Amino acid sequence: MYRKYDSTRIKTEEEAFSSKRCLEWFYEYAGTDDVVGPEGMEKFCEDIGVEPENVVMLVLAWKLDAQNMGYFTLQEWLKGMTSLQCDTTEKLRNTLDYLRSLLNDSTNFKLIYRYAFDFARAEDGVSDCELPASTLAEQESEKDQRSLDINTAKCMLGLLLGKIWPLFPVFHQFLEQSKYKVINKDQWCNVLEFSRTINLDLSNYDEDGAWPVLLDEFVEWYKDKQMS
Amino acid sequence: MDKCWQNHGRQMSMIRNIFLFLDRTYVFQILMSSSLWDMGLELFKSYIICDQNVHSRIIDGILLLIEKERNGEMVDRCLIQRLLTMLSDLQIYQESFENKFLEETSRFYEAEGRKIVQKKEIPRCLYHMKKLLEEEIDRVRTYLHLNTQKLLIAIVEKQLLGEHLSTVLQKGLSYLLDENRIEDLSLLYQLFSRVDCGVQVLLQHWIDYIKKFGNSIVINPVKDKTMVQELLDFKDKIDFIIETSFLKHEKFIVAMKGAFETFINKRPNKPAELLAKYVDSKLRAGNKEATDEELEELLDKVIILFRFINGKDVFEAFYKKDLAKRLLLGKSSSVDAEKSMLSKLKQECGTAFTNKLQGMFKDMELSKDIMIQLKQYMKNQNIAGNIDLTVNILTTSFWPAYIPKEIQLPPEMERLQENFKNFYLRKHSGRKLQWQSTLGHCVLKAEFKKGKKELQVTLFQTLVLLMFNEGDQFSLEEIKVATGVEDRELRRTLQSLACGRARVLIKNPKGKDVEDGDKFFCNEEFKHKLFKIKINQIQMKETIEEHTTTTQRVFQDRQYQIDAAIVRIMKIRKTLNHNVLLSELYNQLKFTLKPSDLKKRIESLIDRDYIERDKENPNQYKYIA
Repeated sequence: MYRKYDSTRIKTEEEAFSSKRCLEWFYEYAGTDDVVGPEGMEKFCEDIGVEPENVVMLVLAWKLDAQNMGYFTLQEWLKGMTSLQCDTTEKLRNTLDYLRSLLNDSTNFKLIYRYAFDFARAEDGVSDCELPASTLAEQESEKDQRSLDINTAKCMLGLLLGKIWPLFPVFHQFLEQSKYKVINKDQWCNVLEFSRTINLDLSNYDEDGAWPVLLDEFVEWYKDKQMS
Repeated sequence: MDKCWQNHGRQMSMIRNIFLFLDRTYVFQILMSSSLWDMGLELFKSYIICDQNVHSRIIDGILLLIEKERNGEMVDRCLIQRLLTMLSDLQIYQESFENKFLEETSRFYEAEGRKIVQKKEIPRCLYHMKKLLEEEIDRVRTYLHLNTQKLLIAIVEKQLLGEHLSTVLQKGLSYLLDENRIEDLSLLYQLFSRVDCGVQVLLQHWIDYIKKFGNSIVINPVKDKTMVQELLDFKDKIDFIIETSFLKHEKFIVAMKGAFETFINKRPNKPAELLAKYVDSKLRAGNKEATDEELEELLDKVIILFRFINGKDVFEAFYKKDLAKRLLLGKSSSVDAEKSMLSKLKQECGTAFTNKLQGMFKDMELSKDIMIQLKQYMKNQNIAGNIDLTVNILTTSFWPAYIPKEIQLPPEMERLQENFKNFYLRKHSGRKLQWQSTLGHCVLKAEFKKGKKELQVTLFQTLVLLMFNEGDQFSLEEIKVATGVEDRELRRTLQSLACGRARVLIKNPKGKDVEDGDKFFCNEEFKHKLFKIKINQIQMKETIEEHTTTTQRVFQDRQYQIDAAIVRIMKIRKTLNHNVLLSELYNQLKFTLKPSDLKKRIESLIDRDYIERDKENPNQYKYIA
């Protein structure tokens, strides 16, 4: 009787969320700092069995409300992991499917999509994209800027929309040849709107609508391309 | 038949005369029976005319006669007249004749109208129509019933012209307008104003013509040089036509204005720019072709064209640039004309528009006063100087932006500048003086072997020429070091002195362009028939540069205006649909804009957190307080 009680107690203790364990878990990756840096992040990803550039990492970052890409602070960690009720690698690994499922809900997706802009904008290192060194340097100087570097934007868009928006490859191609160097938040948000509402043949696109000029140009470019 | 009727008439009147008394007294009292005369008529009608055979023969006969006459044959008009009077006396004019007659007329003129419109040239066709109409009116006067006139003429007009309005205009209007056929146009207008919607159709074609013709003037860049003159001539012509041919019809004037506005703004900015340049060419000195009155009249006309232009800011920018040149180089032909132009602009666009231009004039006047004071000051301070200095103090914000260029002045001139600076800043402390070396010009006295000359030259030219007081020969490089004038500018200056019309310097080796290592000598043998010689600085591609900066500045200003307008509107409305915002902007902004221009500004404002897009509805904007 006692033993039985004991064993359930131990079991519930193991299952129940413990801030203490969560804290210990955090320092496993943070080392002596109060933040999980790039190296810790790499190890963390390895442990939970996800590549750093997997979209689920973005969802996790969103759940943690992380401010900088590639970093989790102590506060973010504690708050976010508490809400997920995770204090061990294993528990988190079991939650990944739930995190992935969040992407299927369109309201959540929109939130994640918008979050991704600020998140990626604030970064100074780029962990999930391979960028040439020169743009990396630019990136650093643009830390406080309001817009997102076009290369980062392309990566992020690929991550978020690549699988669900059939026109993404064309849009990507358009960005490649365009003179745009940065994407602002308004343009960013409207790309999602565009991908959701506009037919694949662009037939319901209204040039006189409020679409940003970027998208006007995309549509024009695409139509020209199809003509030739 | 005619005879029979006459006999009857005669007999009847006789009978009436005999029984006059009876008629008057008896028949009047018994209301049931009609008078003898009437009875006679009634009997004639029922026994003779109402006979089917006779009846139709009479009517057909009359119609045949009329048709013969219409075809140009001579007919007995009196006969027709008598017969028709008979019919109307018998009170069967309307039912048995008029209707048939009108039908016949309609048929005749339908064919006739088609025939003449197809076959004849428009002016002749118009005259022909006019003649036919006159004939018909004459016909009514001589033998038809007056009541018929209205109906008849309406039918003729309709069949002859009303059916062919567009055809006539398409075929002939532009020809008439091109050839300026005032009389034909008057006739055209008269004829058209008789027909229902004739004026309407004419108006439409009128607008189309003006637009088309105007477009051809405005759109073609090859015609840029003569565009304004052509527009003015065109406007004159159109005005004259309205006045003489169209009787100053209000609708035509309004339509003309609308059409002008449309086509002149078809090509953005360029017409405004050319108009400003045109005014410049007319106001510049040396333009002696017009008297003051003529100039005044011309300026009035220019203002009318100016009224049609949407991009008034472009006009202002170029006008200002040219005005600055005229004022500073003393090239303006008459201050009165300048002022009158300014007041016209002020009347047209308000003080805000002319504020800066007026400021420029004021600067010039103030500068004159300051110069007088300067002389006084120099006298009092006993500053000797054998060089006169005139300074124009320009308020930076009024004048076009000039890029200051560093140069090295000779010591005497340096001293003068210093002197003036002390004088000016003592009076107006806290101001900043900046010398615009590009705008300076000097008069130099020079002694050549063949006589004394006075050279009117720019400051840069002066610097170069003064060097030759010290030595005989300098290389390009030496001059560059000594004067500090920028390379391109210096080459141009030397070119003007050594390769222009009046060659005070000699270049070695000879050639049209100044190359590295070229050497320059003073041309001791210089001769010229005039005592005062003006050596023009060679105008290079500078004008294109100037041109682009001027336009760029205009566009910059416009962006601020758009931003301001958007924020203004959004501040009042708080949230607004995209299309509503755009239409409000088009109402507020006077210059021609593409929607994408506006969108870019909206996006920029979103980016700068003045407004935001509604999260749920991307077509809606919200003002951020």
